[in-house]
Amino acid sequence: MDPKQPLLPTAFIALMAMFYSALVGFAAEASRPLNFVNDVVPILTKSSCNSGGCHAKAVTGQRGFRLSLLGFEPEEDYEHIVKEGKGRRIFRPAPEQSLFLLKAANIVPHGGGKKLDPDSEGYRTIVNWIAQGLPYGFTNDPQLVSIEVSPNRLSMKAKTEQQLKVIARYSDGSDRNVTHLALYEPNDKSMAETSENGLIKTSDIPGYVAVMVRYAGKVSVASVSIPLGAPVDRLPTAKNFIDQHVFANLKQIGIPPSPVCDDTTFLRRVSLDIAGRLPTTEETQSFLTSTEPKKRDLVIEALLNSPDYADYFANKWTALLKNKRDDKADITANFAFHAWMRDSLLANKRYDEIVRQILGATGTIVANPAVAWYKRVKEPTQQLEDVAQLFLGVRMQCAQCHHHPFERWSQQDYYSLSAFFSQVGRKPTAIADEDLIYHKRGIAQTENKKTHLPVKPAGLGQPTLDIPPDEDPRLKLADWMSEKSNPFFAKSLVNRYWKHFFKRGLIEPEDDIRDTNPATNPELLDALAQHFIESGFDLKAVIRAITQSQTYQLSAFPNEHNAIDNQNFSHYYPKRMQAEVLLDAIDQLTGAKSDFADLPAGTRAISLPDNSYNRASPFLKVFGRPEGESVCECERVQTSSLAQSLHLMNASDVKAKLTASNGRAERLVKEDKTESQRIREIYLAAFSREPAPEEVRIAENYLSQPRTDAQGKPLDSQRAIRQGYEDLLWAIINTKEFLYNH
Amino acid sequence: MTAKSAINLALGLLALLPSTAVVAQQVCLPAPRLLTVMPMGGQIGSSVEVQITGESIEDVSELLFSTPKITAKPVTGPDGKPLENKFLVAIAPDAPVGVYDARVISRLGISSARAFSTSHLPEQTREKANISVETAMKLPVNSICNATMTKRAVDYYYFSGVKGQRIAVDCAAVGIDSKLTPVVIIADAQGRDIVLNRTGGVLYFTPTADGTYLVKVHGLTFSGGPEHFYRLALVAAPGDELITRQPATPLVSSMSWPPVNLAASAQTKETEPNNQQIQAQKITLPCDIAGSFYPAADVDTYEFTAKKGEAWWVEVASERLGLNTDAFVLVQRVTKDGEKETLTDIAELNDIASPMKVSSNGYSYDGPPYNAGSPDVLGKFEIKEDGTYRLQVRDLFGGTRNEPGNVYRLIVRQAAPDFTLAAWAVHMTLRNGDRAALSKPVALRAGASMAMEVVVVRRDGFDGEIELFMEGLPSGVSTSGLKIAKGKSYGHMIISAASDAKPAHSVAKIFGRAIINGNTVTHPCRVASMEWPVRDAKQEIPSPRLMADMPVSVSDSEKAPVTIAPNENKIWEAKSGDILKIPLKLTWRDEFTGTGIGLRTYGTGFEGMKEFEIPLKSSKHEVVLDLGALKTPPGNYTIAFYGSAVSRYRYNPAAVAEAELAQKKAEEEEEALAATAKKLAEEAAKAPTDKKSEAANAAKIAAEKQKQAEAATAEAAKRMKTVSNTATPQDTVDIIVSEPIHISIKDTPTKTAAVTPKK
Repeated sequence: MDPKQPLLPTAFIALMAMFYSALVGFAAEASRPLNFVNDVVPILTKSSCNSGGCHAKAVTGQRGFRLSLLGFEPEEDYEHIVKEGKGRRIFRPAPEQSLFLLKAANIVPHGGGKKLDPDSEGYRTIVNWIAQGLPYGFTNDPQLVSIEVSPNRLSMKAKTEQQLKVIARYSDGSDRNVTHLALYEPNDKSMAETSENGLIKTSDIPGYVAVMVRYAGKVSVASVSIPLGAPVDRLPTAKNFIDQHVFANLKQIGIPPSPVCDDTTFLRRVSLDIAGRLPTTEETQSFLTSTEPKKRDLVIEALLNSPDYADYFANKWTALLKNKRDDKADITANFAFHAWMRDSLLANKRYDEIVRQILGATGTIVANPAVAWYKRVKEPTQQLEDVAQLFLGVRMQCAQCHHHPFERWSQQDYYSLSAFFSQVGRKPTAIADEDLIYHKRGIAQTENKKTHLPVKPAGLGQPTLDIPPDEDPRLKLADWMSEKSNPFFAKSLVNRYWKHFFKRGLIEPEDDIRDTNPATNPELLDALAQHFIESGFDLKAVIRAITQSQTYQLSAFPNEHNAIDNQNFSHYYPKRMQAEVLLDAIDQLTGAKSDFADLPAGTRAISLPDNSYNRASPFLKVFGRPEGESVCECERVQTSSLAQSLHLMNASDVKAKLTASNGRAERLVKEDKTESQRIREIYLAAFSREPAPEEVRIAENYLSQPRTDAQGKPLDSQRAIRQGYEDLLWAIINTKEFLYNH
Repeated sequence: MTAKSAINLALGLLALLPSTAVVAQQVCLPAPRLLTVMPMGGQIGSSVEVQITGESIEDVSELLFSTPKITAKPVTGPDGKPLENKFLVAIAPDAPVGVYDARVISRLGISSARAFSTSHLPEQTREKANISVETAMKLPVNSICNATMTKRAVDYYYFSGVKGQRIAVDCAAVGIDSKLTPVVIIADAQGRDIVLNRTGGVLYFTPTADGTYLVKVHGLTFSGGPEHFYRLALVAAPGDELITRQPATPLVSSMSWPPVNLAASAQTKETEPNNQQIQAQKITLPCDIAGSFYPAADVDTYEFTAKKGEAWWVEVASERLGLNTDAFVLVQRVTKDGEKETLTDIAELNDIASPMKVSSNGYSYDGPPYNAGSPDVLGKFEIKEDGTYRLQVRDLFGGTRNEPGNVYRLIVRQAAPDFTLAAWAVHMTLRNGDRAALSKPVALRAGASMAMEVVVVRRDGFDGEIELFMEGLPSGVSTSGLKIAKGKSYGHMIISAASDAKPAHSVAKIFGRAIINGNTVTHPCRVASMEWPVRDAKQEIPSPRLMADMPVSVSDSEKAPVTIAPNENKIWEAKSGDILKIPLKLTWRDEFTGTGIGLRTYGTGFEGMKEFEIPLKSSKHEVVLDLGALKTPPGNYTIAFYGSAVSRYRYNPAAVAEAELAQKKAEEEEEALAATAKKLAEEAAKAPTDKKSEAANAAKIAAEKQKQAEAATAEAAKRMKTVSNTATPQDTVDIIVSEPIHISIKDTPTKTAAVTPKK
């Protein structure tokens, strides 16, 4: 904190209180026997000495001095600080002259700068610790059991502050205020910021933010709600449990929802979200004129039963499952795997069965395409990491080398999960780099790379399993995953799908489920998961529940209060169409057809089996189609860029679509229709709505203007009008209304 | 720059050069290959007109089948002359349903085989494109359509579905030599997919309403073309019965199935539930059981008692039945302590090993591209103590696959030592990095020898020597089997055509003969070949299969580029430890590149023979066999030398002379007709009025004839150009094999009398 800055009253009081408690604490510290793990390591962590960028850099450390990441291996750290280099880092006769402290205080030049002020409590603690003879501690020393943050649930108004207090609880029943040594991190920095000492400052965005608190390997969380406090007088009638939970939250937090959207908006939105395509003009006209009271539900049903649904969601899943073309010979594997996923969705195969077939895949790719996943993901560690992140929403990567810093997962948990993949047998095939997979008989276990001890399989947080040598452990993993009581499996899927439809997950990122990253509406997430489980892991049931809800059908237009809301779903959050969907939409509007290698003419971009098409299509690349490198949805780039705008305005592939032979522009001018009829058709095709009279007037006016060719000669009327329509299509493609699902 | 780095640089630069020089070198001399037969099957008792295509097949005289029940005769045009590559195939009413091999006899002899199927269903051939809903072709229920897949397209068929009446779609492709991996889809009348099968299985469908439905077919990767053919069967499949699939050609692995004298069907059936130990199905040994790996993760547990000292052989067939399975057998002993049961592993029985190391999928071949092994099981277990035992069968590919058709047959028997053989033409890397897996018919050029690898899968402990021989050879062709030695898994068969052999062909057979338990046992040998001439196995995965038969031909249109033979056809005698010199006679017919050909040696007892070189252009060469260094024990041996060499090969040079002659004749005819036409034209001009019309008519006819002659000349010139181009000498690398050499090594008499024979 900059001392020149005037302190706000609350912050000042809080800080004074903290200093007071610290001083009291320090008086006691001087006489108390210190313990390396309990007293020294937290100081190193707070000062970020043992962060990944500093001395905990993998393998090398920093300039010969290496610490374990976040102090998870204190014995090694003790060894390195006290004994390594013949004890050169410590000078016991004059503790302040220890190189360890001289560097930390930047008295001797230190690449990391000043990390510990000689006036700080931490510095003094370390001096004391050296003076006490560098005790590591004794086995009967109290051990840290947990940390408690208070308040742990709080409601804060926008732009206010709140000091947190963190108490460490030890095995001997003692506790200590460690507020000044704990680390604080909000899960949404746009909503709240935290100071080094645990002071929360909210912004003006309403909703929920969680502040993760870490101390000496333990984590806790303070959940903060920031109500908007606006009156919520009118709510749409709840259609299903989703609405009940969302509306209850909106009421509680004081954010009035926007009204339910009109039919045109709904049809376009739901078609894009379920089938990855615009509605056809016929579908739009038929829907708009229908008086069937349940017509929205019927459209949802029709879309779910169409192959387009399977194509669109297969596109989503196969990228996450790394269906990636590295070599020409991958084509068979990739086409087979993509098609398998697509067919599974078309047949509405149970989600747990799809996952089971991937995890337990055996044989050849052509006979059992799920085997292709094992071609892409070869190592057991990668397999467990991908499975955990994709199907359980748990990121285990950190735990390979050290205890997960934000989670309860240890290396033992990591290798326990890895052990499920220890009996995957491989035999070479005629295709280089492509094995057939079988279950290799034997006891499933793997080596903990840290302890070098064998580890048997266990689900996350589950007891160890003794799997007989004849049983494929992967099937046991699938069994555990699909248990109704599994705390991750269903939750992870519904959260992922929620994000698909609402742009934002109830947990963000959608594949980072952990205690320290709670859902913004935990009751809703639980209800969705429960509904999914009870439906028999029916993916279509999840989509049906979501899209039938009034919440999904709210207008994208904010009211006077809710524009600022970006996580409570008080209105629909518009999304830029995905690369493939946008390309198909442009094709659909212009009547052009993109041509993709090896695939039949007319194949749509959402049906592309792998990433190889990104190379040939600058469009797909610019609009962020993923390469299948990562199990994270974040690989798909959904942000906007200048390159995208320029591409839509100028790129030759887009221009070619406007002027395509047999395209819409050419066809329209040949048809015996009035200009307003033609304009109407374009609007229905692009926006699924009728044009406003003003829009018709502007378009007619533009179309009636005389046109010249490159040499300035007047164009004949037929060519001029066609060019006019090409321009109109171009303009429409470049509108936000076209580019976004809203 | 060091010499090594200079070489590396040079190689690097070579790699950067356009590859025309490398591409110009062809791998293996052209062989006649039948590539497509359309339609590729017909209804039993009918005649069907087929169109064939192939490579290196000129002057096709016959279309032959591997069964006498199918015969073919050329289709003649209106002029009574045979139409090129068209035959009328007659399928006898008593021909069994099956898939047979079709081959042609051409200038270079017998062609490679192409599958030809027979069925009891009415068949049709798709004549025009059907790649859209609008152009869908009618496919009646209980019929077959023969078609080729269109590249980057979907073929559409329609049928009338009746509510509740189950139908099945079975698309034969992989099992009938096609390059197509078919995807079959049933869609609604608008083309929207309802059910699919992409893994080669049968697609079953029960319409929920009367109406028109579509069957869509496409390649898994949308590949297509004439080599991507298929036979699409749509049949009624009432109830929940599994239909009988269309017949398929056998896999190479099935060479070891069934054992001799095996009953057509098993004595016992597996009875579920038997997944758990406690549910074990009681059996007595020996046994022969039919079971299935169904549902997913199925385990079949059998329990039996056995006595100390017994040895049992276990054989499982499933993959060899054409199924995508990997059987595994576990035998355990059961001991009980009160209620507590303990299981002790006795044997884990896995795959049948390939008799030869199969080539890896690396840069070049490091073994044959054929695998006569199988993921099936063939092994034994021994009983060390009286007691109760359990045997479990499972499919290591079956964890998540629910396929009721994945059946197996389990046989547990006492040792019945035997053997089973398969052979294939030798493949090897002929050019740096090449992985050419060509289909190789036994079509010998006069003076040529070819080598076949003959592998054995030994059953139930038989490890004796196996003699190899052939029968049914055409005149001018001789063979020598290089035996499979005791305990070994392969030998060779050398097939040689005499240099003066005249064109001939016949269906031959390879046999193996061994003494088993004092009895002479003879078995025929199956022959495997590639379905297609795959020129780069890195780009296209070769598909080998077993052939129905083994026709052998010799032709004299072209002769072998070189013949290597011993200068005397005799048994070369030597004493063990001797230096044996064998003079070779070398007959060079084509020009070869380099200075010599490096040769290695096939034949038991001579494995240690180092590579030696025969000089190019020399008419003789003496090979020195150091029997002492080779440590070849006394006995009778047959060996052959082999290597590879690049020759300047001309394809069908005789055609050039013929074409030249024809061109000359055409030109002369044209000249004569031109003169006549000119003369008649002049006469017509001068003719008196009353003869004018007649003369003009004659002149017109002559002019037309002249025009036809001009066209004929142009055609002859075109042909001349074509045959000249194909006859342009081309560097061609191929395997060179010598004629066999028979050697008899006698025991060396003991020089000292120190050892007194025992009495």
